[in-house]
Order: sequence, then structure tokens, then C-alpha cells
Amino acid sequence: MRLPLTVLAAVTLLACQPTDRAVPEADVGADATAAAAEFAVADFAGTSYGEAITLTSVTPVSAILDDPAAYIGQRVLVQGMVVAVCEEKGCWMDIASDREFEKVQIKVDDGVIVFPLNARGKQALVEGVVEELQLTEEQAIAEGRRKAEEHGETFDPASVQGPQTIFRIRGAGAVIAD
Amino acid sequence: MVKWRRWNAAIHRDLGYLCVGLTLVYAVSGVAVNHRADWNPSYQVRERSARVDDLDASAPSSPEYVRAVLERLGMDAEVLGTFRPDPGSLRIFLEGTTVDVDLAAGEATVQDVRDRPGLRQVNFLHLNHPKKLWTYMADVYAVALALLALTGVFVLRGRNGITGRGAWLTAAGVIIPAAFLLLYF
Repeated sequence: MRLPLTVLAAVTLLACQPTDRAVPEADVGADATAAAAEFAVADFAGTSYGEAITLTSVTPVSAILDDPAAYIGQRVLVQGMVVAVCEEKGCWMDIASDREFEKVQIKVDDGVIVFPLNARGKQALVEGVVEELQLTEEQAIAEGRRKAEEHGETFDPASVQGPQTIFRIRGAGAVIAD
Repeated sequence: MVKWRRWNAAIHRDLGYLCVGLTLVYAVSGVAVNHRADWNPSYQVRERSARVDDLDASAPSSPEYVRAVLERLGMDAEVLGTFRPDPGSLRIFLEGTTVDVDLAAGEATVQDVRDRPGLRQVNFLHLNHPKKLWTYMADVYAVALALLALTGVFVLRGRNGITGRGAWLTAAGVIIPAAFLLLYF
């Protein structure tokens, strides 16, 4: 009995190891916008989530936000500081743009990838497909209320005026700096 | 017949021992995540507010301003980075802590996030966050649980076995979830 239990424990421990890349860590500690501008894919290390990163060229978040329609359905690689994470299920995170006051949401299927809450403030490299969400006014109000409740904030339904179009990235894989 | 019973009891006994650890992991985590609407099962999230209104906020992203805010809050941890969600606010990231500054109101909200010791780890396994080999390990555990249930039915014979008291209890164990299905599904 001792041997099978040892094997079981070893398999369990192996399965729990985060996947690290043996390359230097990305620069952190800077303003989110500046850090995004100076980024290089080859210099990135961290814990992997979901599928492996396959793209090598980073698309600036600002480029996607400037003309999101041109990127719909395209697989892109974005990089930036994690500035918010879903507190309930870890099913989305916001990545800062390379331009001030901007960010893009990375959405993943519940439970398929779970972003840790302590990722906030760390650099991330994310690969995924740009998608468009059309929300009716009612859906936009419901979404706003849900997000406000999740963050313990108050929500004013009057802040939503008419239907909304949201552009976000359906995340396939990510690496978050340790 | 006796030999079959002996094997059944042995399998039930040994699988029972093997499954103790993971069953406790799943049981504890199951209760924890079942009440996710009421609490965060993996992290302790604490918030507090403080005034930072007498600081010069003309350059909120500057290291000087960030340092002044942190000094005011009594914090000296390394700054991971900063972010401006909009022209009226600044977000400062420290390890495990996020500080949101409302520049106009001169108010800072400090959110500390800490792992719930033990719970984050059991939830990590239960919710299959590791993926990879753990997915197959969890499959093996599920099959073991099914075997544990099936062999358990035939461990005892007689009045307390599946032809007596066991039949009633087994039926109850099927009827209860079925009733909830009829009620809610």
C-alpha cells in the first residue's frame, strides 16, 4: 500500500506545479501605460493559464480600441498590466492599454481558466480572439448592476443610455508574471 | 459467492482509505464554494477608506505623489505599478493590496486581498484549476467514488443489507435528489 500512495502523492504534487518559462521576468513597478510600450515577448516569464501562447507579435491594446471592428474574429496577442480581476470566479480580467485611461477586458469561460485575484498589478501576456458584444439597454443595466455588486459599489441605472457595444478579447491562454 | 463478497469488501475498504483525503478536500471545498454568493471562498478581501485630500495631486502618476499617498496610509511596500482608470482617479498596486484614489474627493480606498489558508488550496483542487494531470487524477477519483458507492451496497448481507434496511436508505438517497430535480429543474 505504501508504494501506490507515494506514487499518488507524487502525481498530485506534479499536477499542482505552475508552468514557468525559463526567461527573465518582465519589468514591473512602472506606470501601466509606460510598461506596455516597452514590452518584449521574449523577456516574459510567469505562470501559464489555459492554452500555450503561440503568437509572437504583440498588438497594442490602443490599436484594437482605435478600430475594434477591424480586429473582430482575429486572434491577437496583447500585453499589459492586470488592473482588475473578477472577484467572484476569476472569469475575466482587465488589461491596461498602452494609452492612458484605457483598458481591455479578457473574458474566459467560467472554470476553464481562472485568473487569480492577486494578479492585479502584475504584467500579463494574453492571447485570444477579439469579439463584439451587443447589449440592449436592459442587458447593459443588468451587467452594470452585476459588476457593481461584485465590487461592492453603487450603480446608477441612469448612467446607461441606450444599447451598448462592448469589444473584448475571448482569452485562450495567458501568462501572468509571478 | 463468499469469495465475491470478500473481494467486494476488500475493494470497498481499500478504496475507502484511498479516498479519505480527497473526499475531505471535496467536502470542505464543496461547502465553501456552495456559498460563493455570500463570501469569497478563496480570498479574504478587506477594505478601508482614508483621506488623502491635502496632497498635491497635480501629477498623480508621479512617484512622489504615489509615495505620499502610501506614507499617508502607513504603507511602505514595493509598488508593483500604477494605473489611471480615468482622469479623476489613480490605482496603485502593491503585493496583495490595491489602493484606489479618488483625486477629486481626496479619498483612498485600500483593498487587501489575502489567501484563505487551506481553503484556497482545496478550492484550487476541487475546481480543477491546475488542469493538466490533475484532470485525470480527478477522473480516477470520480471512478473510485462510484466503485465505493457500488461496492458499499453489497458489503453487508441480511437485515442491514441491500435487501433490508439498505434498500430503504438507498432508495431515499435516490429519491431526495430526484425530488429536488422535480422541484427546480
